[in-house]
Amino acid sequence: MLRRPSARRKREINEVQLNLVPILDAMVTLIAFLLYTMSFLAIVSIESPFPEASPDINRKKLETPPLQLTLSVRENETEIWSPFQKIEPKKFPHLEPGKPDTGSIHEALLAIKQQFPQENQVVVAPHPALNYDALIGVMDSARTLEATDPPIYYKNESTGMDEAAKTLFGDVVFGNLLGEE
Amino acid sequence: MPARQSIRHRRARRKLVRDFELPLTSMMDMLVIILVFLLKSYSASTNSFSSVQGLKLPISKSQEIPPDSLQVVVTPEGLNFEDQRIVQFVMKADAVGSSEGTYELRSEDLDEEGLRIRSLFDALTRSREKAELLRAKAKARDESGQPLPFDGVLAIQADQRVRYETIRRIMYTAAAAGYKTFRFLAMSREG
Repeated sequence: MLRRPSARRKREINEVQLNLVPILDAMVTLIAFLLYTMSFLAIVSIESPFPEASPDINRKKLETPPLQLTLSVRENETEIWSPFQKIEPKKFPHLEPGKPDTGSIHEALLAIKQQFPQENQVVVAPHPALNYDALIGVMDSARTLEATDPPIYYKNESTGMDEAAKTLFGDVVFGNLLGEE
Repeated sequence: MPARQSIRHRRARRKLVRDFELPLTSMMDMLVIILVFLLKSYSASTNSFSSVQGLKLPISKSQEIPPDSLQVVVTPEGLNFEDQRIVQFVMKADAVGSSEGTYELRSEDLDEEGLRIRSLFDALTRSREKAELLRAKAKARDESGQPLPFDGVLAIQADQRVRYETIRRIMYTAAAAGYKTFRFLAMSREG
């Protein structure tokens, strides 16, 4: 007698298939929305407050003269100096007309920061004919600490701990807004 | 036997149509990758600063992403505030094809010994008054119950050829109109 044929082949395999179509619809809509609302220009900013003067501030400056690091960008050179003679003035001739030597300026500011690690402000006094590109370059050289720069530590007065400085002289203030050169 | 062949042919075709499914899994993988990439780069673009055609921004090492604020756009042709040209500069004879910013402001556009730009001062003052009015009407209040103070932030987006002399006038004018913080916009070096 013949055996009964196997039913294994005939057994239905229950395949569960996820319905991907609505997920796909949602993703396409999301991608379209993101592409539409996205800005492809990576814009960054450098913030600077309008300088303020008051009799109180001036009195304090006379009592304990601050560094007041100043960066005067002239027609042919840049000078780093302190009105209270806290540092030796240094002059850097421009690489070409209207193009300050930002590399040398950065190196000099780095040495000053190591000397005054708590100081965070620089007063910039550019020449009226200096263009915006050069101005941003000068501000960058005064503010930004490069990855290749040696680390600078300062004492955080609130915690009492030594911390690595994140910026060189992060607060840039313009010193000649009232017209003097 | 053409009739029999035809029936077989039809059945085979029907089967093909019923079994065909678009392979969506690989497409899903691709879309997920695109979505993750877009979401990652989306976080860096929360502002809505508009620009002007032909404006060349300088490149900066700064990594600060500017939040939205009022902005002034300066090109060697003129000065725009909130997408409207408010000052037209006078082009010098040597401006054609020059890489320098050879332009001048008209003397009638200036006052206070050439330091303040009249129309910009008026526009900035109107904007400040509008912002203060909106804050006065808003429910948000500070600790003493007063309306939140005007933040006074102005973004300056200037062409790389624009001279500091012009930027200084804009800052002076803005400060006179009650704006005490300036944000200089530039293109990211990493962007």
